[in-house]
Amino acid sequence: MEGRPADDSDLISRAQRGETAAYEEIVQRYQQVAFRTAYVITGTAADAEDAAQEGFVKAYRALDRFRPGAEWRPWLLRIVANEARNRARSSGRRHHLELRLIEGFRPGDAAQSPEAVAIASDERRRLIALLNAMVDEDRLVIASRYFLELSGEETAAALGIPEGTVKSRLSRALARLRAQVEEAPLA
Amino acid sequence: MPDLEDQLTALAGAIEWPTTPRLRVSLPARRGGLGWGRPLAYAAAAVVLIVAVLLAYTPTRDAIAAWVNLHVTINRVQQVPTPSPRPSAALGERLGLGTPTTLNQAQARLAWQVGVPSMLGGPDEVYLQQPPTGPSGGEVTLVYAQRTDIPVSGLTGVSVLVTEARGRVDEIFFQKTVGSEATVEQVTVGGHPAYWISGHPHDFAFVDANGNVHGESLRLATNTLIFDHNGTIVRIEGDMTRAQALQIANSI
Repeated sequence: MEGRPADDSDLISRAQRGETAAYEEIVQRYQQVAFRTAYVITGTAADAEDAAQEGFVKAYRALDRFRPGAEWRPWLLRIVANEARNRARSSGRRHHLELRLIEGFRPGDAAQSPEAVAIASDERRRLIALLNAMVDEDRLVIASRYFLELSGEETAAALGIPEGTVKSRLSRALARLRAQVEEAPLA
Repeated sequence: MPDLEDQLTALAGAIEWPTTPRLRVSLPARRGGLGWGRPLAYAAAAVVLIVAVLLAYTPTRDAIAAWVNLHVTINRVQQVPTPSPRPSAALGERLGLGTPTTLNQAQARLAWQVGVPSMLGGPDEVYLQQPPTGPSGGEVTLVYAQRTDIPVSGLTGVSVLVTEARGRVDEIFFQKTVGSEATVEQVTVGGHPAYWISGHPHDFAFVDANGNVHGESLRLATNTLIFDHNGTIVRIEGDMTRAQALQIANSI
């Protein structure tokens, strides 16, 4: 995503040379997106934390295979997401990611685009309800792209599908959501 | 009305996510960036396996390992059990240290060399645990009842406990479960990574070669330095400072 600090490659190079402090900096920098990505997949905070932690450990062990100049975030998220999927599979639980809104959220609470102001509280609730009623495949791809704010490459890594499939799946999911919205228009 | 995609973009800031835990990962030094040696790779693979085993035995865990190395996993939890009052039984019995013995007798029954910290002098008591209650390679505990400058711990009733267990690098792994008030620092003993856990009592458990979990069910551990001494995992426990613990460790 845009806005990522420019010195990731420096940190990674230092970590590859054995500087654990550099890797700890990487962990701090990416722990939120790693945890949330795992949460989208596992549906529980505990499993997501486990998956994120193990993902970082595995990524560290595989640092020698990280290609200089490559994008770090999709590489990391692919590992974390694999951990999350394995954990979700082994738990035997079929989770359903339930998207929720922050209680009492006001657009001014966070840096928002002008569009945020345009969406009233009841409209947000209605949209979330429609999203939660969608099939998992649709909800996950929308959550990854719009709420986790992952790139196409990162979404592909997180969902374990080709990037081209992300585009087609997202397109279909948006079309279905748009149809739902138009069927019962937001206020 | 904004376009649907704009609405979704705007909605991102309103989504409630679970609080992101603070994942702190400290790993063994890489070997000059040349990759993992074969034995190390085996050990690392075993860590993942053992971590998974440990997780199954940690029902109260709210946060996963904060520190992971070849021997030690440390789980950060919200609460550790409340220390129970010390019963009046013999020290070895109430602390679950095993059978009382002497240093020479313990050494004769173990296939590995017991390390004795010269700084503390000879131990006041020695205990030995062997299978089935102890780990496959046996575990010895040296008890130092009272030592100058190290107060008697309210948790153990003695100044210092030095516990040693032997295992191949892929055989025995230790787990610490620490509360949010405990601090874990990576230090160095004899040029090898070591961990200093202080500030709050913590649980201790380990997994042996057969996958059996051995827990210190009778007590919580106080300040602890854990390190690898030539293949022996050594724990030095007591109400001591980090500097004191390191001095003791370096005198083995």
